Amino acid sequence: MTREALYRRAVRRETHSPRSVPAIALAVVLILVLALLGVESVLAAIGQSPLLIAPATLLSSVLQATAAPAAILVACGALGAILGVALMTVSLTPGRRGRRAAHTDRTAALADDRVIAQAIAQSAAEAADVPANQVHVSVGSRSIGVDITPTSGRLLDEQAIRDAVDQELAGYDYRPALRPRVQVLKKGTIA
Amino acid sequence: MNSTNRFLNRLFVLIAGLVLLVAGVGVCLGALIPGLQQPISDAALDAAGEVPGTLDAQPWILWAAAAAAAVIITVLFWFVLRQGRGRTSVLLESGGTGGDVVIDAKVAAHVLEQSLARHPRIVSVDVVAFQLRGERVLRITVQARRGSSPVHLRSLVDQSVAEWDALLGQQVPVVIQIVSGLRADLTGTARVA
Repeated sequence: MTREALYRRAVRRETHSPRSVPAIALAVVLILVLALLGVESVLAAIGQSPLLIAPATLLSSVLQATAAPAAILVACGALGAILGVALMTVSLTPGRRGRRAAHTDRTAALADDRVIAQAIAQSAAEAADVPANQVHVSVGSRSIGVDITPTSGRLLDEQAIRDAVDQELAGYDYRPALRPRVQVLKKGTIA
Repeated sequence: MNSTNRFLNRLFVLIAGLVLLVAGVGVCLGALIPGLQQPISDAALDAAGEVPGTLDAQPWILWAAAAAAAVIITVLFWFVLRQGRGRTSVLLESGGTGGDVVIDAKVAAHVLEQSLARHPRIVSVDVVAFQLRGERVLRITVQARRGSSPVHLRSLVDQSVAEWDALLGQQVPVVIQIVSGLRADLTGTARVA
């Protein structure tokens, strides 16, 4: 495997969820249910009294449930179908982890979206000359929103903030790239 | 970057979802189509009456069910326990004339952590080695101080990696992760560039 292919694979693994949590949760639920069924089967086979429910009773009641009122059956069926769709969605969506990859040369590199947001917030706060807690940055998949709350009674140089954010982002080579959206909020605050 | 089989995870979740969806839709349709529920429930009630007699007459069914449950449980345990592996403690092994050389991943961890951890823009450094597709890959996780530029941090790590390459005399694949965590949030911003 070439270095590039290896890095591509490593980056893909670090930027996407392995879906271990739903898979393990499902497996544990199945293990518990099967363990109960297995234990009950053995107990019934050796003629002991059941822990919760005997296999024969369980089987009969499942079969009898087909005679239940249609409304209850539809409700149960719909619940199962919704859960099924949810699981299929989890399985088929990419599951991005809020990280993005930079260019690769000697090393491969990834950065958390939070680190990017904090760095952009810092540059915006410096350019706007406001405390860092008056800058709110949100990183989307392809855009980065910078909301600045001005200090009451002081004018902000919006263009300077825009330039500072653009300049900081210009040095970034993360994929997917981020488009800045700078906004100075109308309501000020008392610093 | 562990060796979790992601395709298997997704396949397992997909199959479970598909089974639930088909069963759910089946139950809904069976209950909603008027001519369908009656004959099915009649047949099911007949069958339900025969269950205790059949199980008493043929106890092997119960043993077979228990054995099947045990087998599936074993497979599921294997599936759960093989998640998240792939770390390795050995970074490099080379055999040559006069003996084998084994370099532990901890050596790389110590050298790289030592050279990076004191930097004011870095809160902490964590270095581990992984086995990926038969190759050993070093993963350097850097916790950035709030507000530091990830590009700047990456170039710092790249410098340390270059020094490590010179020390080792060989280039091991390196993946750098720049993250932000609870400690990064609590320690405040770096005030000196």
